[in-house]
Amino acid sequence: MKIICLFLFSLLICPGCGDDEPAIKVDLKIKEQVIRPHEPDVITYAYLPQYSHTVSYTRHHLLVSYLRKKTGLNIKQIFPDTFDHHMCMVGENKIDISFSNPFVYVKMARKYGAKAFARSIEASGRENFRGQIICRKDNVAIKNLSHCVQKRWIAVDSTSAAGFLYPLGFFLDHGIEKSDFKEIAFAPGPGGKQEKVILAVYAGKYDIGTIREGALDVVVGKIDLQQIRILAMTAPYPGWVYAARKDLDTSVVEKIQQAFKALDMKNATHERILKAAHFAAVISSTDSNFDSVRELVTKTDINLTQ
Amino acid sequence: MKPGFRKKIYAGFFSLLLIQGLVLFFWVSHVMKSSLLQEIKNRGISIGTILSARMVEPMLAMDFLRMRVLLDETVQLEQDIFYTFVLDKEGRPLIHTFDRGFPTALKHLNSVSDDHNGSMKLLDTGDKLFYDYALPVAIDTHRLGTLRLGLLRTRAEKAVAKIMVSAVVSIVFTIFIAGIVGTILLNPITKSIKKLHESSEQALRGNLDVKTAPMLGKNCWDIMNCHKNQCPAYKNYHHRCWYMAGTLCPTCVEGEYAKKIDSCRQCQVYRKCSGDEIQSLAESFDAMTLSLKGNLSSLKDAEAVLNEQKARLQTILDAIPDFISLQDDKGRYISVNKAFCDMLNKEKEDIVGKFNDDLFPPGLTRQYNKEDRQLFTSGLPLIKENKIMDEKGISWLHVVKIAVMDGSDKVAGLVCSGRDITQLKAVQEQLTHAQKMESVGRLAAGVAHEINTPLGIILGYAQILLEDVEQEGQIHDDVATIVKQTRICSRIVADLLSFSRSRENIISEFDMNGAIDEVLDVVVHTFGLHHVDIHRSYYPGPLKIRGDKEKLKQVCINLLNNAFDAIEQDGVISIHTDLEATAREITISISDTGHGISRENIVKIFEPFYTTKGPDKGTGLGLSVTFGIIKEHNGSIDVFSPPLSFLETGTHGQGTQFVVTLPTGLD
Repeated sequence: MKIICLFLFSLLICPGCGDDEPAIKVDLKIKEQVIRPHEPDVITYAYLPQYSHTVSYTRHHLLVSYLRKKTGLNIKQIFPDTFDHHMCMVGENKIDISFSNPFVYVKMARKYGAKAFARSIEASGRENFRGQIICRKDNVAIKNLSHCVQKRWIAVDSTSAAGFLYPLGFFLDHGIEKSDFKEIAFAPGPGGKQEKVILAVYAGKYDIGTIREGALDVVVGKIDLQQIRILAMTAPYPGWVYAARKDLDTSVVEKIQQAFKALDMKNATHERILKAAHFAAVISSTDSNFDSVRELVTKTDINLTQ
Repeated sequence: MKPGFRKKIYAGFFSLLLIQGLVLFFWVSHVMKSSLLQEIKNRGISIGTILSARMVEPMLAMDFLRMRVLLDETVQLEQDIFYTFVLDKEGRPLIHTFDRGFPTALKHLNSVSDDHNGSMKLLDTGDKLFYDYALPVAIDTHRLGTLRLGLLRTRAEKAVAKIMVSAVVSIVFTIFIAGIVGTILLNPITKSIKKLHESSEQALRGNLDVKTAPMLGKNCWDIMNCHKNQCPAYKNYHHRCWYMAGTLCPTCVEGEYAKKIDSCRQCQVYRKCSGDEIQSLAESFDAMTLSLKGNLSSLKDAEAVLNEQKARLQTILDAIPDFISLQDDKGRYISVNKAFCDMLNKEKEDIVGKFNDDLFPPGLTRQYNKEDRQLFTSGLPLIKENKIMDEKGISWLHVVKIAVMDGSDKVAGLVCSGRDITQLKAVQEQLTHAQKMESVGRLAAGVAHEINTPLGIILGYAQILLEDVEQEGQIHDDVATIVKQTRICSRIVADLLSFSRSRENIISEFDMNGAIDEVLDVVVHTFGLHHVDIHRSYYPGPLKIRGDKEKLKQVCINLLNNAFDAIEQDGVISIHTDLEATAREITISISDTGHGISRENIVKIFEPFYTTKGPDKGTGLGLSVTFGIIKEHNGSIDVFSPPLSFLETGTHGQGTQFVVTLPTGLD
């Protein structure tokens, strides 16, 4: 009887007496200094940060890998925080290959001597792209473009093409001056500017917003797109452009250009790369392809050197 | 000395609490510790996951400032976050929160593959234990680097220590409180049990006047406002009314506890006065001892009666001359009477509890055991006669053995009774002999009847022949001898016929003295020739009697002849008659001065053909005939040798006296 009692008592007690989990002995006294190694012969590739870095990485890291493999160059994608930062880095030779909107490009060409060598064909198959003017669906004060007068306007960036320049030209064409708006604001902070514009309008902080065509797809699942109404679409302008910084070795540009031209939707691997980048193809381009944009800049009295 | 009830209860109580406390202590502390550690682990994973997600953008931008800010913010978030750092795809440290350099050993201690959410390892620096988390920094499946986070276990250990201290304090406090509560609850119980124990000891010692139940504030007479002094419950402070029979309360049901308790439970007295189980136990114990006392008194009375009856029965059994014994189903003697003891010449104590083997010789034991087995098997009674031969001579026992059946018709024992029938046996032998003699008598009578006629012819012709022959001569003498012997034969035949024939009595009333004189007139002359005198001493008045005069005269002739034959020569025959005071009986006494009758022969003298006379003098039928005639007249005959007068006076003499007593037959 006593043995049975002791056994039962042990059964009750023992589960509470389990040993601690094993620990690995480690000595933290030996230390080293962290120094970033410098990588030589790196060709830097940057995507104008109209979206977050994550979106930029997701869209372009396959393309960068492809270019690295195809050209044999040590191409690396870097992520500038703002449009101005992007342009400055091109001017400071920190970005060798820039993928930007036509407005930024004409600025960089004018200011830093960047030279266009290729441009993307939109996933829809169009060579050009448009800007969109959006508002909340339930905003009864805005039923057409004329209702935008004395309203608060948020644009992507002062250097954004479809997010500011194209809509501004569109407003001027419809007789609405910059001074007619109650307020013109730009998306704050680094990266993700297209999303910020959409979210600002969705939140009701601004009455209207201007974004590039296709930007709404980026926020699918994040907000209820049924609450967003596209008020108007601008005229189409040339799409995004690949430009090489000034003085970049032409052979490098040539190799990259050839690699772009080799991308074919019919190739399954290329198709995956192109779809990730939201491209249908990448074609060769020259600086003259963007003269229409320069005309629009002139019309809006924007100083390309600022 | 073994511990008492109170100590046992306390020991059990505290042991249980201690065991429960220990179990709770170990279980709860273990569960809490595990839960806390799991919570810390989960928290580490959670912090790491959030940080790794926030680290994507700065990493892409290679914004070391933002990365550092994020890491510092995280470390400052919680005191137990030991460190954080970020490794690039190649596993090189990008940024960290350590002072004065990055600990090289940490670099490869923990890693996480692309297809895992994270990895956790417990590391020990000797003075610190911490969990190291490795979480991937990735966009979709594209790995950018690894975030590492160190979380100290100190907080968890402190929390566990607090819990354990709280548990110990709680257990001690609980045991203390339980002890106080237990003492309060146990005290009345243990007191009551102790009192019960003392009362039971008193009861065991024979004192049944115990008072175990507590006194009540209000009793039945208070509640019912009763003043019936005759009621047994009135002013009885220690016994509850529902335990008592014969209470006088109008709501009470008559009878004992079993009959009235159902009714009493409905009574307000019961509802107000009945207590808990312990009180009920004490009250029922008191009631039980009271009832026991009454029952014991009755039992003692019954025992006295039983003992008296037992003694009576034993006296009766011992007084019975028959021996009686009782055996149980094993054959063991369980009861015997005095006669049985006397038979075996043993004391009762030496017999009871013994078997046949212990009491009888081997031969008898085998016989008795066999008989007992037959009785146990068949259940049929056994009746037998045992012939016992010992130094005292031969004796006979009539034995009856009967099986005693129990309730289920099985033999539970044997009752044996036996009687000494030696005397009866002797009488039986005499009867058998008498019957034999009667048969012989009848045969002799038949023969006598058959030969009476030829004997008469022989006598007739012999007398004729005697007349015809000359008186002097041998022939005459021979014929005279024939006549003489034939006459003797005729007399024998006549006696036989008289003995055997049952002649019709001729009853008449006559004077017995006269009848005797008639007989004496015939014989007096003959007796005188032999100098035998006759003394007559008659009842002075007439001695009237109803009977067969001739047969009674025959009685007198036979008795006088016997007296004459006993005297032979020179003697006296005394005849005395008398009437009994109530005049219902007469007595005739005939005594002689002869040679008397020996003690051995005196019992045989009335048997037919028994005679001590010579061959020519007696037939042995006279006294038998006399005896038969007296019996026919409902009388009796006694014989004394020497006569009664010598016996009463104590003087020496010889002779024989016959005393015949006859009822007069007169109203």
